[in-house]
Amino acid sequence: MNLQRNPEIVWRIEKRREADVLAAMERGEDVSEHGTVILIANGMMHQLNFVGGRIWALCDGSRSDEELFALLSGEFQVEAAELAADLTEFINDLTNREWLRRG
Amino acid sequence: MADAITEQFSAPLTFNWTLSYRCNFSCSHCYSRDEVGEELPTSDLKRIIDILAGKQVPFINFGGGEPLIRPDLFEIAAYATEKGLNVSMNSNGWLLDLAAAQKLKASGFKSVGVSIDSAEAALHDDFRCMPGSYVKAVAALDALRAVGLRSTMSSVISRINYRHFRELLQLAREHGVHQVYLHNFKCSGRGFKNREELDLSPQEWKDFYVEALAVKAATSDLSISFDDPVISSLPGYEANPLVKGSSCGKLSLHLRPDGDITPCGFIPLVVGNILREDFDKMWYDSPILNAMRSKEAKGKCSGCGAFADCLGGCTARAFATTGDFCEPDPHCWK
Ligand code: SF4
Repeated sequence: MNLQRNPEIVWRIEKRREADVLAAMERGEDVSEHGTVILIANGMMHQLNFVGGRIWALCDGSRSDEELFALLSGEFQVEAAELAADLTEFINDLTNREWLRRG
Repeated sequence: MADAITEQFSAPLTFNWTLSYRCNFSCSHCYSRDEVGEELPTSDLKRIIDILAGKQVPFINFGGGEPLIRPDLFEIAAYATEKGLNVSMNSNGWLLDLAAAQKLKASGFKSVGVSIDSAEAALHDDFRCMPGSYVKAVAALDALRAVGLRSTMSSVISRINYRHFRELLQLAREHGVHQVYLHNFKCSGRGFKNREELDLSPQEWKDFYVEALAVKAATSDLSISFDDPVISSLPGYEANPLVKGSSCGKLSLHLRPDGDITPCGFIPLVVGNILREDFDKMWYDSPILNAMRSKEAKGKCSGCGAFADCLGGCTARAFATTGDFCEPDPHCWK
C-alpha cells in the first residue's frame, strides 16, 4: 500500500530556506540539520530537513515504496544501500508518529 | 528530522484578523473597543485571503470586535477554507445560537472560541457590562457541541478571576470544550485604562502561574494553554520549540479591519497594508518586526538566566508601559 500523509497535519515548504539549502548543497556543505519543511502535528510544530521534506512531499498516496526510492535515487547522489536504509528509517519514524499512513 | 528552529519563517503561521471593531458588548478589558476603523468590502477580504493562501499561511483566526457582527463572515470563512486555510474565530457567544453554529460548521470553521471570564454568571455579566451574556456564552458552547464543531474557551486572567480559574476549567469540561486559553492580561486599549483595577501585581502573576502550571501538568482531559513568555523561568514551563519570547511578528501577525498589519492586536504600530504593499517586503524588512525579532536585554533582563527563552517577556506589555520593546515585561516578578 502506498504511503500517504496524515491529512490532519498542516505543512508547508519554506521556500526561502529551501533555496538557501540548495545553494549550500551546491557548495558541498552539510545541510542535514537545516529544516526546509515545517509541519504542525497535534498543535506542535516540527521541521524536516531537505531530504526528509522531499520524501514527505512525495508521499501523496500515488507512489509505491519502489517508485519513491527510484525517484529519490535520481535526485540524490547517495549509495543505493544508504538511501534505502535512510528511507526505511524515516518512513518507520513517521509511520510510528502516525504522520504517514499506508492506504 | 532537523533540530530546533532558529531561522525566520517565510510567512507567519497565523493571522489574527480583526474584521470589524464593532461589537455588541463593552467589556472592561477590551483592547479594541475604543478603536474605530474603516471596514473592507467582501471582495477585498477575499483578495486578502488570496494573498494569505499564496503565502501559504495555514491558519487564520477571526477576532474583533465581534466577528459575527459581519454578515459576510460565513462567506469569507467558506472562501478561506476552499483556499486551504484553517479557519477559527473567537466570539462573545451572544449571537452564536444553534443556527449560527450550523452555519459556522458548514462554512468550514475548524474551531470556535467563546470568551468566558468567570464561572459565576453575575461576575461575567458585570465584567462584560451585558446582563444575560453568561447564559448566552454557555449556550453558545452547547450549540457548538450540538453541531459537532470543536470549541475552545478564552478567559482573560485578571483580578476578578485569577483565584477561580479551576472553576473556569470545570465549566469548560461540563460543556465539552477541547481547549482553554488562559490569556494573560494585556495593557492595551481599555485594558490599559482599567489596569489599576484589573491587573495583578508581579508577585500575584507568579503565584497564579505556579499554580496554573501545576494544574496543567495534572490535567489530562482538557488542554490548557497560556501564551506568556514571562513564565519561562517557572518549573513546569515547556519551552516553545518554535520560537523564543513573544510569538508576535515571528509566528503570527494581526490584521486590522482596513487591511493594515500590526505585529499583534496589542501593539498599535502599523507594519504596512496588505492590499497595497508587497507582503514579503513587509515580512522580511519591516523595521518594527525586525526590532521585535532581535530584542536586547535591558534593565533587569540583562544577566537574567531566563532571557534566552523569555526574551524580556511580552513585548506588547513592555511597549505599552514604556514605549520600548526591550524593556522588561511589567508583569515580571524577578
Ligand atoms: S528579568 Fe527579563 S528575561 Fe528575566 S524573566 Fe523577567 S522579563 Fe524575562
